[in-house]
Amino acid sequence: MTRDQPVNIVMIEDDEGHARLIERNIRRAGIRNEIHHFLDGGRALQFLFEDPRGPALNGPSLVLLDLNLPDMSGLDILARIKADASPLKRTPVVVLTTTDDRQEIQRCYDMGCNVYITKPVNYESFADAIRQLGLFLSVIQVPEPEA
Amino acid sequence: MFHQLATLDRLDQRFGRTVVALVCAGFLAVLLAGAVAAYVMGRSEEQTDWVNHTFEVERHAGAIRLALEELRSARRGELLGLQGSSGASYAQAWAHPMAEIDTVARLTRDNPRQQAQLAEMHRRAQTLDRLMRSSGHGGVAGTAIGEPVRQQAAQAVEESAERVLSLEQGLLRVRIAKQGELVAIFYLVLAVAGTLLLGVAFASIMVILRYTRDLTRTRDDLRTLNANLESLVGERTQDLQRANDEIQRFAYIVSHDLRAPLVNVMGFTAELEASLKSLEGLLDEVERDTPALVGAGTGAEARDAVRLDLPEAIGFIRTSTHKMDRLINAILRLSREGRRTITPEPVMLAPLLVGVVDGIRHLVDERGAQVTIAQPMPTIVSDRLALEQILSNLIENALKYLSPARPGDIRISARQERGRTVIAVADNGRGIDPRDHERVFELFRRSGAQDQPGEGIGLAHVRALAYRLGGTIRVESALDQGATFLVDLPNQFSSEKDAVT
Repeated sequence: MTRDQPVNIVMIEDDEGHARLIERNIRRAGIRNEIHHFLDGGRALQFLFEDPRGPALNGPSLVLLDLNLPDMSGLDILARIKADASPLKRTPVVVLTTTDDRQEIQRCYDMGCNVYITKPVNYESFADAIRQLGLFLSVIQVPEPEA
Repeated sequence: MFHQLATLDRLDQRFGRTVVALVCAGFLAVLLAGAVAAYVMGRSEEQTDWVNHTFEVERHAGAIRLALEELRSARRGELLGLQGSSGASYAQAWAHPMAEIDTVARLTRDNPRQQAQLAEMHRRAQTLDRLMRSSGHGGVAGTAIGEPVRQQAAQAVEESAERVLSLEQGLLRVRIAKQGELVAIFYLVLAVAGTLLLGVAFASIMVILRYTRDLTRTRDDLRTLNANLESLVGERTQDLQRANDEIQRFAYIVSHDLRAPLVNVMGFTAELEASLKSLEGLLDEVERDTPALVGAGTGAEARDAVRLDLPEAIGFIRTSTHKMDRLINAILRLSREGRRTITPEPVMLAPLLVGVVDGIRHLVDERGAQVTIAQPMPTIVSDRLALEQILSNLIENALKYLSPARPGDIRISARQERGRTVIAVADNGRGIDPRDHERVFELFRRSGAQDQPGEGIGLAHVRALAYRLGGTIRVESALDQGATFLVDLPNQFSSEKDAVT
């Protein structure tokens, strides 16, 4: 995953507990990349597209996205990232949410989501899933954002 | 609707009564007219007879005068010796007026005044005859002297005849007037009957027109009402559908949103447990190396906390969260079941039941129970998956709550009546207290001894499925008497949307 520039992980997750558990389990999988955590969609979008340290202006990144956000739907963020004119349209997006509604899943993939993961309720499976996600993240290749 | 029907009934009754009354009135009018006509005709005929009679009398009375003329000429002829010129002798001529007088007398036998007149005339004729005869035999002198007397006598007879005639003419006038009156009465009656008939006809037409108008109005009302009713039912069904959809969505959202914090509770409990492990390790070391440190006071409290309180607390949190997890999953399953589209297809119940029983064969064998599927089983058009779930749940339930006192015996049967199929799952198990018959179908509610695992979801799920298939479910049971669950389903499933349109 690391080449010239380290890949940043942007985590958009309104539940702080979930965020903490996700971070811990990713770290347990041996991932040491920086994780930027946002509790709402607005600030996340601002960081993604405008922040000098954000992915649009600064190196490759990977987005962990929850669909249930307080200020907007995760689908809106997904649409913004995957829009034709977006510099981040090749940035991998992992949707990590509680919903396992089939239509919702289909919609996410239609909109360009790369991986869709339902958070298991059972904590052991949850931790397991996140650790596996960490292992997965450690092997995938992430493209550079478009200039 | 009922109001309209009542109005119709009332209309019908009133219409029937009015029409009968009118027809009766019409018949009465015709009958009356006929009777009066018959009466008038009879009277008229009578009067005509009388008129004819009068004419007859008149004719004969006239004949008397003619006969008298004849008599006089016969007499004159005789006197002049012109016998045979008139063809008749005086004696012959004499018989003629007398016969006529007799005829008139016979004809007017009912009229005393005429009789009196005729008697007078008869007398005068006799006098005339005497004078005539005496003159005839008395010679010329007699003739010359007797002439004015004879003239007088003849005059008298003629006067009598005149009087008879005038009397009869008077009668004729009266009779003709009477006949005229009768004809007038006849026409009057005809007119009255005709008017009556016209009135009846008019009234009938009016009644029929009004009835038809009322009928049309009522029919229109009914049609509008019917249309309103249909749209009302449609609206209500839509409302229900919407409410149902809302509840389903609500349940779905709630269960999802409840899951999120639960993940945290369970997650951090796991983290806590992991941390506790390291604390326990530390405590083990301390106990081994410096037992005095945890022997008394805060040290002992810390040891108890690590060894007893914390594991206990974590244990409770775990069981509670697990339970909550199961409940949420149950709600989720129910709501998902509610959202699943029902796909009706012809389902043969017999093979379906065999499949269901085979699916839980291990449970049946484990409980040492016997499951009997009564033959024949009908085929119904419904959702196969939902039917399978309903029946497997009911059979599993029966297996779960068998009585230890006797070997389990579960019988499944079905009967069809009036477009519906009732499937009965009967067991000889521990039974359900009648007080709990409604409760057992509620979510998270159970009945009887709580010695079997379960959340109180199965029957709630079954009932929700039965409702979705357009059916109902009920239980017949008493404690320790076994239980029979009766699923009542339509033979032919029709979705709510079809029902509306």
